[in-house]
Amino acid sequence: MDNHDSNEVVSEQNASADVKSEKKLVKESKNKVNRLKKNKPKKTKSSNHTGGVMGIWDDDHKILIAAKKAKTFGFKKLDAITPFPVHGMEEALEIKRSWIPYVTFIMGVVGCAAGVWLTWWTSAVDWPINVGGKPMWSLPAFMPIIFEVTILFAAHSSVLALIVACGLPKINPPVVDPDLTSHKFGLFVPENDEGFSFERVEKIFKDLGAEKIHRVERY
Amino acid sequence: MSHDHPVHVPAPGEFKPSQNLKTICAVFMFLGILALVFGAFSQPARIWLSTLTSFYYFMSISIVSLFFISLQYITHAGWVVNVRRVFESMTNFIPIGFVVAIVIALLGGSHLYHWMDAEHVAHDAILTHKKAYLNVPFFIIRTVIFFVGWMLFKKVIVGWSVKQDESKDESITLKLIPKSVMFIIFFALSFSLFSVDFVMSLEPHWFSTIFGVYGLSAGLQAGLAFAIILTVFLMKKGLLKGLVNENHLHDLGKYLFGFTVFWAYIAFSQFMLIWYANLPEETIFYQHRMEGAWAQVGLFLILFKFIVPFLALLTRKAKRSPYFLVAVSVLVLVMHYVDLYFIIYPNIFKTSVPFSLWEILIFVGFLGAFLGSCLSFLSKNPLVPVGDPRIKESTSHHVTY
Repeated sequence: MDNHDSNEVVSEQNASADVKSEKKLVKESKNKVNRLKKNKPKKTKSSNHTGGVMGIWDDDHKILIAAKKAKTFGFKKLDAITPFPVHGMEEALEIKRSWIPYVTFIMGVVGCAAGVWLTWWTSAVDWPINVGGKPMWSLPAFMPIIFEVTILFAAHSSVLALIVACGLPKINPPVVDPDLTSHKFGLFVPENDEGFSFERVEKIFKDLGAEKIHRVERY
Repeated sequence: MSHDHPVHVPAPGEFKPSQNLKTICAVFMFLGILALVFGAFSQPARIWLSTLTSFYYFMSISIVSLFFISLQYITHAGWVVNVRRVFESMTNFIPIGFVVAIVIALLGGSHLYHWMDAEHVAHDAILTHKKAYLNVPFFIIRTVIFFVGWMLFKKVIVGWSVKQDESKDESITLKLIPKSVMFIIFFALSFSLFSVDFVMSLEPHWFSTIFGVYGLSAGLQAGLAFAIILTVFLMKKGLLKGLVNENHLHDLGKYLFGFTVFWAYIAFSQFMLIWYANLPEETIFYQHRMEGAWAQVGLFLILFKFIVPFLALLTRKAKRSPYFLVAVSVLVLVMHYVDLYFIIYPNIFKTSVPFSLWEILIFVGFLGAFLGSCLSFLSKNPLVPVGDPRIKESTSHHVTY
């Protein structure tokens, strides 16, 4: 029993040593980042990387109310960053529906036509082969191929459309608040939005009950 | 988090079917019975085919509803709770179906199934070999086992849900999960064999291993369509205010859309394998369905049971507008009849396509019985399972886009 206890003590000590070294590492990396920031030449603005103000709330119910109210101040590009889908957020932010389904549908129709053409041209025109005495171009036999080509076109175009719609790839976006991926909820107004000024947005967020407000230089 | 904030669950309205509705159901049933009695003497083969078609039509809708409910218990689905009573009401037809099944087996069997004719079987080598399965006593024993099993499971799955309204016992919801699993296993076997016995054995030389799934896919599509119509009917009466909204319809619409595609997939799978292999004992089924007037019925089926509902239900807006959804559902229900008609009738009517009052009156009779059983369930029980622990989740159900 004693043996066991002493073992535990040792492991605890090890653990605390681990934590210490980890803290040290974090400190070092922070210093590094700070150094980099200081050395960095003055920020050049690009449309992809815009600064702005982010308010942080601790409850999805509160942020939904805040989002609805913030929208009344006339922001066009107000956005929410939440760790999970918050029901009603799309309506609160008046986000339009995605145009990706239309791409999927149109490319599905194109794919279907392509499948029909492929099977017809290869099996009945360019190299006709008699299979079991069936007609050269027999629709039931080619249906699986036509179906697969339809899905191929529709699915791949959807992914491509998604990449375009989301402006991907976004390499290394800044971490505004690490809790945003676990239990905190953020509202963000970019600096190129109508009626934006750092002071005004900060005041609005403060009035709406944000527990923290970050100025974001690059997002 | 959101569940910290109380969700207000309003009490559902009480459904009192109007006297007119009750009269209509009774008159429908009376007309159906009248047609059956007269038809049984004047043209027995046709009237029993018609009875079988309508019987299988409503049995598939009703038993598949029980399957749908089980599926939701197993998957811990919360959104479905507020519309579950509609599905539960549709299972109320099973005992009536039992009576009809016995009547068909005892009285109509000799007109429908030529494997019941001993003399015919003796001259038919294939049927002689199939005698071990296809014989009258075993057929009736199987029918009784299926229906008794279904009624027992209905008593548990629907009965406990009704009990929960009073007791508010949350453990019932969890206890129903293993029962639902058991039912789905029993259902898979029983419904397949039920379809084989009552429909496939009309042409006893022919066989398709996918036939049970075909019946399931068609039944699910039609069952969802019927549930949507009933739900919208109750909504428009204002009985589900604050409980069921377009978000629930949206999900039911997605299911309808999904099973429309599933039906087409299964129907095509069955057809393509038979068409491609080109074996005489299998192709015979499609041979007289691809010639003359039946070929047109087949094309009609592809167009209106798959292509039109598929395109109609593609958009989000379509699935969220009650009347549009009802219109598509009515089309699906009509096409479910055409589908079964196309499967059942050509077994005896190989070249002609007979459709007249004999089909309509029998269908109307079954419709009266089915509606009557649904409405009586809905009038006796709360329209929403008020004791279900997931009712709050269902009440605040919201479909994101």
